[in-house]
Amino acid sequence: MYRIRFHGRGGQGMKTASRLLGTAFFLAGYQVQDAPRYGAERRGAPIFAFVRAAKAAIFERGIIREPDLVVVADDSLVPVPMAGVLQGADPHTVMLLNTGESAETWRHRLNYPGTLLTLPAEAAERAELRFVGATCAGAAARLLGVIPRETLAAALHQELAAHGEAVVQRNLDQALAAFDAMAEHAGCVGEGAAVGLDRAPAPAWVELPVDPADAAAAAIHAGATSVEVRTGLWRILRPVIDYARCNRCWWVCSEFCPDSAIKVVDGRPEIDYDHCKGCMICVAQCPPHAIAAVPERQFSEAKA
Amino acid sequence: MSEQIATIYKRMKDLPSTHILGAGTPMCAGCGGLQALHEVYDILGEKTVFVNAAGCMTLLAVYPFTPFRGSWLYTSMSSAPAGAQGVRDALDILLAKGRIPPEEDLAVAVLTGDGSAYGMGLSATSGAIERGLDFLYLCYDNEGYGNTGQQTSPATPHGAKTATATGPAGFGGYKKDLFAIWAAHRPAYVATVIGTEPLDLARKIEKAKAMKGPRLIIALAPCPTGWDFDPQQTVEVGKLAVKTGIWPLKEYENGQVTHTKVPSQRVPVEEYLKKQGRFAHLFAPQRDEATLAEIQAQVDAYWAGMEGEQ
Repeated sequence: MYRIRFHGRGGQGMKTASRLLGTAFFLAGYQVQDAPRYGAERRGAPIFAFVRAAKAAIFERGIIREPDLVVVADDSLVPVPMAGVLQGADPHTVMLLNTGESAETWRHRLNYPGTLLTLPAEAAERAELRFVGATCAGAAARLLGVIPRETLAAALHQELAAHGEAVVQRNLDQALAAFDAMAEHAGCVGEGAAVGLDRAPAPAWVELPVDPADAAAAAIHAGATSVEVRTGLWRILRPVIDYARCNRCWWVCSEFCPDSAIKVVDGRPEIDYDHCKGCMICVAQCPPHAIAAVPERQFSEAKA
Repeated sequence: MSEQIATIYKRMKDLPSTHILGAGTPMCAGCGGLQALHEVYDILGEKTVFVNAAGCMTLLAVYPFTPFRGSWLYTSMSSAPAGAQGVRDALDILLAKGRIPPEEDLAVAVLTGDGSAYGMGLSATSGAIERGLDFLYLCYDNEGYGNTGQQTSPATPHGAKTATATGPAGFGGYKKDLFAIWAAHRPAYVATVIGTEPLDLARKIEKAKAMKGPRLIIALAPCPTGWDFDPQQTVEVGKLAVKTGIWPLKEYENGQVTHTKVPSQRVPVEEYLKKQGRFAHLFAPQRDEATLAEIQAQVDAYWAGMEGEQ
């Protein structure tokens, strides 16, 4: 059975990638499961989708914990624990990163035991990010080696037809280019062994003491605890205020920020980078254009 | 025009400079609904209990995290106003028995999306207004079932593509006029707002807060994910909704509807539509002149009907 996990951010087309690959597998004669992780999937937030494919009936369910192939559309997710990119990766697992850096750099950085390949991430406009899904699906199809080029194209037509010919063509170009680019590594992903119930550890019983209702009930006894959630990790662009140009109007960026992530202290706006999700509304609305959108990558590079 | 209560929000600088809604929520980057909610919460204040029907904003309070300073109750899509009735009754009983002092009383606010407000929850809302329930209802209207991937809701506008209206012409139906439906119940107050017009919003929430009885607010919520535009365009899209006249800002009280911000010269509605991917099929590969003209004609007819009222 093949087990593939796609990691990306909401809006980067990982659900689409899993559907494209799943349908391609199906057209190639496989039994297939494809699903996005259900939950709080949000634009910018780390999300994943997965595909299982086998010639026989698939009895496994749920999230893939032992992937044969992990495709990462956004390399900034690798160090984010909640994204779980590396979860279950072992020497058998092929890792494909969409990145501006070399495979060698990532192998070294992660001390990665298996095959690690890269897709050349283009410094794309944010509006272009949605096509990354097709690129990932195309590359994955070639690495698996069991999906013919025309089957991939047929799957893409089937899945995206409702979006019109222009959208289909744009995605097709991306998917097929990625398919072709991976020729050297065709078929490098091997099928993983079936994970039967016999390999699952026996459940360990945990005795839960009976707590008083006021302690055991799901009550939150403090306000605004959401600040513990670092939604700043969603960001790929960072708004940076040029205080020389800021005219201390004070309300525009702070009032329009949906996330309460800009506070105004003595007329001076301050951005809370732990929580700013990088929507860039402040950049678009600042009257004297005093806020710039800087790629987050520049800050991580500066740190490294 | 009805008697205006003196507002403390005369200009933008009168708006609160600190925000009480906590950061770190799981709403999408650029969420127009969250923008409206944080502006509303700043005016309502901390002493507010939110009764939240299932929808995007259910995820605001995922245990153990909450952006609110006070209590929050989660109900099914159909029953948030019934939940609000229970909370209001409980508070009234506690007050009557002297178990909480009057200064610890709380305002009860219902928070739902358009799927609940325009559809599943409409019956419970009707009942709550009929009983004269003392509550505030805030609907964040992103014109579809956004939390599950933007399926068509009773608030979806004509021509928009949704996850369930995927055909070449988009959604064939028409957005329900919830303002009129609510106003027809003759509650204390009904208003439309939008987060991108914070001063208008603040004045309306200030006014509603000072009233008793059912007060209902619909906030158009530009939705980058569901409407398909870049998150930084949220304010621009919202402002265009007002400038084109497709989202009239108005209020109802004492049997009268008053428009609070009348666009002096309405921008053609296609300026609003073409910013959004959900309407892209109206412009390419060729312009759908018939549908564009129909949407414009509806906006024009609405405002023609309002003349004389101003």
